[in-house]
This record gives sequence, structure tokens and C-alpha cells, in this order.
Amino acid sequence: MLTFSEIISTIHEGLTDALPGWLATTIEYVIIGAALLGLYCVLALILILLERKICARFQCRIGPNRVGPWGLLQSVADMVKILLKEIISIKNTDNILFKTALFLAIAGSFCTFGALQFGDGLACIDFNVGVFYILAISSLGVVGILLAGWSSNNKYTLIGAMRSGAQLISYELSAGLSLMTMVILAGSLSISDIIAGQGGMNAEGGYNTWYIFQAPTAIIAFIIYLIAGHAETNRGPFDLPEAESELTAGYHTEYSGIQFGFFYLAEYLNMFIIAGIAATVFLGGWQPLQINAGWASGFNELMGQIPSWIWFMGKTFALVLLSLWVRWTFPRLRIDQLLKLEWKILMPISILNLLIMAVWVII
Amino acid sequence: MKKIKDIVLSVDSSLTIEEQQYPTICVSPNQLRKLAEKLKENGFDVLLNLTGMDYKEYFGVIYHFTSTQDKKAMVVVKVNTPDRENLAIPTVSDLWASANLYEREAYDFFGLQFVNHPDLRRLFLRADWNGFPFRKDYDADPKLNPVPLVNQTADAMEDLPSIRFDKEGKLITEHKALFDKNEYVVNIGPQHPATHGVLHLRVSLDGEIIKKVDPNFGYIHRGIEKMCESKTYPQILQLTERLDYLSGTMNRHAFCLCVEKALGIEVPKRAQVVRVIFDELTRIASHLLGWGCMCMDMGSITAFIYGMRDREKIMDIFEETGGGRLMVGYNVIGGLANEVSPKFVDQVKEFIPYMRKMIKEYHILFTNNPIAKGRMENIGFLTKETAASLGVTGPTGRASGWSCDVRKIEPYAVYDQVDFQEMLRQDGGTFDRYLIRLDEIEQSLRIIEQLIDNLPDGEFKAKTPAIIKLPEGEYYQRVENARGDFGVYINSKGDKNPYRVKFRSPCMTLISALDPLCRNEKIADLIMIGASLDYVIPCADR
Amino acid sequence: MIQYIKDLFSGIWNLLQGMRITMINFIRKPITEQYPENRGVKEYAERFRGELTMPHNANNEHKCTACGICQMNCPNGTIKIVTKQITTEDGKTKKALDKYLYDLGSCTFCGLCTMGCPQKAIVWSNNFEHSVFRRETLVKQLNKEGSKTEEKKPVTTPQQ
Repeated sequence: MLTFSEIISTIHEGLTDALPGWLATTIEYVIIGAALLGLYCVLALILILLERKICARFQCRIGPNRVGPWGLLQSVADMVKILLKEIISIKNTDNILFKTALFLAIAGSFCTFGALQFGDGLACIDFNVGVFYILAISSLGVVGILLAGWSSNNKYTLIGAMRSGAQLISYELSAGLSLMTMVILAGSLSISDIIAGQGGMNAEGGYNTWYIFQAPTAIIAFIIYLIAGHAETNRGPFDLPEAESELTAGYHTEYSGIQFGFFYLAEYLNMFIIAGIAATVFLGGWQPLQINAGWASGFNELMGQIPSWIWFMGKTFALVLLSLWVRWTFPRLRIDQLLKLEWKILMPISILNLLIMAVWVII
Repeated sequence: MKKIKDIVLSVDSSLTIEEQQYPTICVSPNQLRKLAEKLKENGFDVLLNLTGMDYKEYFGVIYHFTSTQDKKAMVVVKVNTPDRENLAIPTVSDLWASANLYEREAYDFFGLQFVNHPDLRRLFLRADWNGFPFRKDYDADPKLNPVPLVNQTADAMEDLPSIRFDKEGKLITEHKALFDKNEYVVNIGPQHPATHGVLHLRVSLDGEIIKKVDPNFGYIHRGIEKMCESKTYPQILQLTERLDYLSGTMNRHAFCLCVEKALGIEVPKRAQVVRVIFDELTRIASHLLGWGCMCMDMGSITAFIYGMRDREKIMDIFEETGGGRLMVGYNVIGGLANEVSPKFVDQVKEFIPYMRKMIKEYHILFTNNPIAKGRMENIGFLTKETAASLGVTGPTGRASGWSCDVRKIEPYAVYDQVDFQEMLRQDGGTFDRYLIRLDEIEQSLRIIEQLIDNLPDGEFKAKTPAIIKLPEGEYYQRVENARGDFGVYINSKGDKNPYRVKFRSPCMTLISALDPLCRNEKIADLIMIGASLDYVIPCADR
Repeated sequence: MIQYIKDLFSGIWNLLQGMRITMINFIRKPITEQYPENRGVKEYAERFRGELTMPHNANNEHKCTACGICQMNCPNGTIKIVTKQITTEDGKTKKALDKYLYDLGSCTFCGLCTMGCPQKAIVWSNNFEHSVFRRETLVKQLNKEGSKTEEKKPVTTPQQ
């Protein structure tokens, strides 16, 4: 079976043979960038449609069903509409910051998106400090949100941005700590190593299972990561920065057309990215489900036949669905409850969890 | 409680009490202050309604007082100015907080000068409006008040005039600013998702903490009371539904009852029972929407849709029998517009168990949800005293422990023959206001259940004269609508049009409760508290 | 500490209960009405006040005698009756309906016109699709062109 790594290495060899080295590298970068951007946009469209359909069902509605069969083209229509809309420029705003903010927001999410491994060998960025990179670069988005809120010169956006700042900085902590817990278990910051540790055969000849099954603390870390990650995406019960009943639309109140579209895109993709990271670190990334038992070798074999990118997408979308379910069930928290949840509940638990995990690994 | 007679005589021995529907006392503006203080001392702690009047030769104000201890006690005080020029009337806004807005309204419409009122801005109209529209000699020429093309400046909105007598006895106006120069003021509304209509709140913030809330009314003011003066009684009925559109049936019921009382019409038993069933269905629908909106303001849109879904069933029942969904238009003077639909009983019987099941789901989904609980608990406490002083009735007043259910105090239709409980809570917090609505839905279901099985036979409408003319006099009727004590005051001169109609709207007092409730809470709580009060703006603006 | 853990778990339990409710609703049949596909399928209440109409019988006759009660009853001046003089068989001149103008744009559907009509000449129809492109189109003439008042014995004089 042709794997992605083979396709990619074929292209790579073809290019280096035909062209000088620097040109080949440049072209490769452009191809990779274009491919990622394409995937990014397509995923956003799928996610927007998915959310609208799913939330409709939670609310006993049908959801979009007019554009295309079963409403499948709805988000394409939305995209066209948002592209055609006039970009309203507002007086008395800090124009440079106002226009930079959205690029920062989308760049943060796009760079994190690049670090995901979509399948066996389907990775663009693979550092030895991958997890660290993800944590660092995903915080860039908050700068965009803060700038957007500040530069709009609007009281609602400012309150929204300040809330967002407080929220992201707090939840970054427990998200980071729960990822660190898993780094201890994996013994590596590299995403490839983390994924490799969750599949294949181990030294004793057994099967490596997903990290979530390898240690009880991993389950706690997983739940904490889901909550904190959900909060970082500004969605669901944690959508205070854009609490529409209080702040109309929060930090992006003054943006219109495609400028708003950028924030919208970044928000949806962040949901996917958080789910993707959780799937990578806790649920084995693109690794198939394996059971570490002698009788299950047939089952493991069967699971191994499913292509790796389906595994990754399947896990990620399952987590996205979970996030949608949560979002469309719960009411919004207040800012003090939000911070209390982080500092009084999630933080202590994750620190404790980290310690237990360290002890677990040593033993 | 001392007898009203003793109270009145202690003020001035020359005062007399007229025995009308309620004991009525006529005083001059000089005596008002003393009488008001005495009434307040003697337990009349609620100023239910304040009606401005134009008697052509002179102006007047009618106060309706009641009490939290002796719930059935009601006293009417009438103050008349000496002529059309000297309009000074002492304020009672320091004694009853509800007078604050009422007096502003009377000033706005009649130009009555309430001396020592701290904030005598116009309530509904802009500060630059010429004339006082409810005066009988008001010139409605559009040239006098052209459509303004510029916004009202913030200064005009924040300038608080106050009228007082100087040392020589002349009236002077003093001005004060509403906010300090360096306060961080945020406009919430008039176009805002959580103000439930076009309410404009100016909120002074310190970080996320609210320091002051100033409601600004009038964005949907239609002058319904003025319109009533040029319409016949059956024509007014349709306007009552457009006050508080969520309890339209009850408002219409109130007006019908008031006219029927004046004409001495005996409404057939069947009509009374059906009216009560309709009232209670409307109450359920209104509380469902209130519940849903409260959930939505908390960010749970799913719950809102569930509320609307179940409200739809009631709308279908209304449509089947009444012919309208929101504006049912089923109560008419003398009874009902139609015989009930043959499907009506089955539909209602089907609805009751369904609703009970859904309420259980609501409790699991929302009431027990720790996030929702955390949002609603420990914010927005309204004490019984404040509630009474502000005149906050209905579920909100009852959540504060004030038993103010008109269905129990002055039972109308068949409310004295059904068994139901007046839901009361003691704390007056936001969570209590939330819970009391769901409890009231259950009580309403109980009432419907008792009535639906034995609808009495008979006529659905009494005979009424072809042209309805009310005998000369004043009539007041209270009903319990979904938001509180709804009152209709009709002053008739014997024509087919009323001389003056005043609707006592429960929503205006609810909005006036926002400021005391929200101080030192967070901006997110303002939305929560507003939602828990469940006001409807067209009812406040009229 | 024990209270803390207890609260934590009861909180999580109640959150899960809430998620169970939304999942139950996820499986329930959607309640959305598929308008306009359900035109003719969905039944509307018979009494629903959609639009004022004046029924005509097969001979193009209506029951309106142009008495003007509905016009008087209407709170908004929605109904305007234009009358004309006609001569009956036996030579008497009589008031008859020329145009029955109904302005849908200002109608509040209060029902005072139909309740007051002594002839039951006007009734409510269920039509609720009122949208038009111009406001003038909302003013409708309810009596059909060339229609006349239904009487016990048909009037034979030609229309003027």
C-alpha cells in the first residue's frame, strides 16, 4: 500500500533531481503551505456546517437544508457572502493595530495547525520540542484578540478582550501542565516520539496502547486538557470574550466582512486544533486502536488496516463532537467563576496529577 | 392597622372619606405631604399606581396605596391643583421609591411639577419635546415637534433637574449631573440582545463592577393611553393586548372586567371558566418564554429553544380556539368572542401531562446545572421592603416574600373557586425568581386541571348594549398578569369613549428595580438580573 | 476537603445529567415545520384570522348591504366602504355597495368587523401569506368586480 511518506519522498526526490537545491526547497515550502492552507479552509467549512447541523439537532431543529443537498453547500454560500461583504472602516480606531490583529489571531492558529500530524508521515513541522512549540505558538492568538479589542475603540470590545486575556492566560497553565504530564510519560517533547510511543510493539513484545490507557493519571490529564483547551478556544460555556447577551459580539464587534471571517475561521480551527492535539497526545494520534493482549492480535491487525489519516480525523472529529455537545448544553460562566474553576479546581488537580505521574513513571 | 378614618382625621379633621370602590380621600397639595407620611407610617407601604389627570379646569393626581400587611386594604388619594397654572405638588418619591418613575411620567405627560423630586427628567419623551401630550389642550401639530434628525446629547440625558421652593416661595430649578465626568459609562441598548426589547440602560462601570444603572425609556412608546381616549371601549380591547404582549389575554381580561363592572354585566359562568383557563395558559406561555430567555441570556441557547418549542403548543391551542396566536383577542366585553373549539378540551388535556414532563427536563437540564446555579445564586437580592417600596409585584415580588397575588387578594372570575397555592419564597435572590416561575407553571397547570374537566354549560357571552357607554365615574380593576399586578383605571364622563385610561404596568416598576439590584454586581449579572425580572418593554413604555 | 470532593463529583454528575437531556432531544424528531414545502399539508386552525374576505356565491353575489358598521367598528380606519345609489325593481333608490376597500397594512386583526357584521358578509380566511412588493397593493377590494348584494329574490335591474 502506498503511504503518504512514500508519495512525499517521491515528490521530494523528483524536485531535488530536477532543480537546484534552494529552488527545490522553496517550491516544497510553497506546496506545503498551499496544501495546509487549503486543508485549513476546507476543514473550517466542514466544521461550520457540522456545528450548525449538530446544534440544530440538539435543539430539535433540522438546521441548514436549503443550499445544496441536505444543506451541504451552506457554508460555501456563507463564505461567498462573507467575501463579498463590504469591509467597514471605522473612525477613531487604531488603524494599523486594527488590521494587524486579525492576522495575528489567524497566524497563531495556522502555525499550530502546521504542527499537527495528520497521518503516518503527514507532518510539516516535527521538532524535537514539538509540544513546547504548540504551547508557545497557540498563545499568539490571544495577542490578536487583545489587540482587536483594544484597537476597536469600543467599550464592549475592550471588556471582551480583557476577559479573553485573563481567560487564556489562566487556562494556558492547566493545558500546559496536563500536556507536561503526558510528556513525562512519553519522555520526549517531540510529537513524533509521543505518537510512536502509542503504537507498534514495545520492547517486551507486547502492543503499545494509547497513553490514556497506559496510566490512570493520563485520564485525569485528558479531561483537564479537554476543559482547558475548550476554554482556550473561547467557545461553549467559556465564551465570555464574545458573550453575545452581554457584549453583543465581544472583541470582534467592530469587524465586518472577511475581517470578521478571519476571527470566525480561527475560532473554528482552534476547536479542531485542540481536539487534534488531544487526539495526538492522549489518543495516539494516527495510531490505530490496539489491545495489549495475546488474544487480540487479530483485532489489532484489523485496526491496523484502516489508513492512519482516518484514525486521526476520526479521533479528532469525535472530540470535536464532544465539544459541540458540551457547548450546546451548558450556560456560560461568569468571569469570577471561570477563574475560580481554573485556579481552585483545575490547577491544583493538574499539579497533583503531574506529581503522581512523575512518581508513576519512576516506579 | 389603624382605620383609614383615624389616619385621615389625624392629618386634618376637615377631610372626608368618600366610599367608592375603594375609600377615596381628596386633599389639597399642601395637605398631601402630611397625609402621605401618615399613610406610610400606618402601614401603607406600597404605592401601587399614580395617575396624572387633566380635568380641563385644573390638573390632578390619583394615588392608589395598598399595604403588604393588610393585603386587601386599598386607599385612593386624589390631589387637585388649584388651576391650570400652579402645578406644584409635593413629591412622595422619598417615601415610596415607585413614585420616582410615576412622577416623572406624570411630569412628562401633564407637566405637573413635583417639588423636591430628585430627578424630574422627562420619562418617555425627549428633553427637547414641546408641550405635554396628555393635556386635553395639547396641540398635536407635527410642526411643533418635527422628527428630530440629531441624536439627543448625553448631557441632555444626564442632566437631572429638580424643582424646589426657594426662601421667597418661588419655584426654582436646580440641575445635577447623573454621572461624574470620569465615570466609565457603557450604553446597553437600545439595540442590545439582552435588554428584551428597546430598553436603553446607561451603566457606570468600575472594571466589571456596576456602580449605577440608569434606565432610559420611551423607545417604543406609542401613547396607548392617549389613543384610548379617542376610541370606543371594544376598540380599546385590542390595544390592551399590545401592552405586555406576553400576557395579552390577562390584560384584555382586566379591561373587560373593568367595563363589565361599570356596566353591571353578569358574565356567564362558562365564559369566566374559559377566561381563567386562557389566563393560566398565557401565564405558562409567558413563564416559558421568561425561562427560555433567562437561559439564553446565560448563554444556553438550547434551553431557549426548548422553552419556545413547548410554548408553541399553547400557541396552537390559542390559534384553534381564539383565532390568534400572540394577540388572541378572545375575551370581549360580556364574555368570549366565540364558543370554544371542539378540540379545545382535548388539546388542553394533552398539554398538561406533556408540560409536567418537560418541566422535569428543565430542572435536570438547567436548575441542577452547577454552572447555572453558580450564576444565579448569591446575586441580585431584593428585600421585601424594597420590593414593596418599588411596587415590584408578581413573581418577582413573591420571590422576595411579599404575598401580592391579586388572584388571592381580590379574586376575579373563578379564582376564588379553584384550589391553588400562591408560591412564595423568602430570599428574593435571582435563583428564587428563576424557581418561582417554574413553580408557578405547575400551579397554573393545577388550576387548568381543575377547570378543564367540568366546563359549565351555558352561554359564552352575556348580552351587551350595541353601543357601550360607561356611566360617569371612575373604575379600577386589578388582575394578576404574568409579570405582576396589572391595573386598569378608567375615568368615564358617560360617553362612548373614556375620558382617561391609565394602565398600571408591572414592568415599569420591574425596570426601576434594576438599579438597586445591580449595584456592586458584575456586568454579566446585570443581564442575569434583568432576565430574572422578566420585564417586557412595551408594557413599561405603553 | 471532603465537601470539596463531594461538590466536585455532584457537579460533574449534574453536568452529565444535563448532557443526557440534550442527547435525548438529539434523538427526538425535529419539530421544524418545513414551510413552504408543507403548503397544503399542514392544517391551520379554522378560526385563524389571516385576512378579511367577503365570500361570494356562484352568482357573484355577496351579502354586504353597505351598512357601514364594520367601518365604524374598526379601530384603525382599515375598512372603507364606498357606496352608490341603485334603483331596485319597484323603482326605489337604494344604497348599495360599490367598493369594499380593506387596507391589510393597517389591520390589527382584532375581529371587531366580523363580530359586528349583522349579515355575516365578511369572514376571516386562513391566508397568511401577505407579503407584497408595494404598500399600495395591500389595499384590497373585497367585493368582486360586478358583484351585487344577495337578496331573497334576485334583483334583475342591470348594474349601473
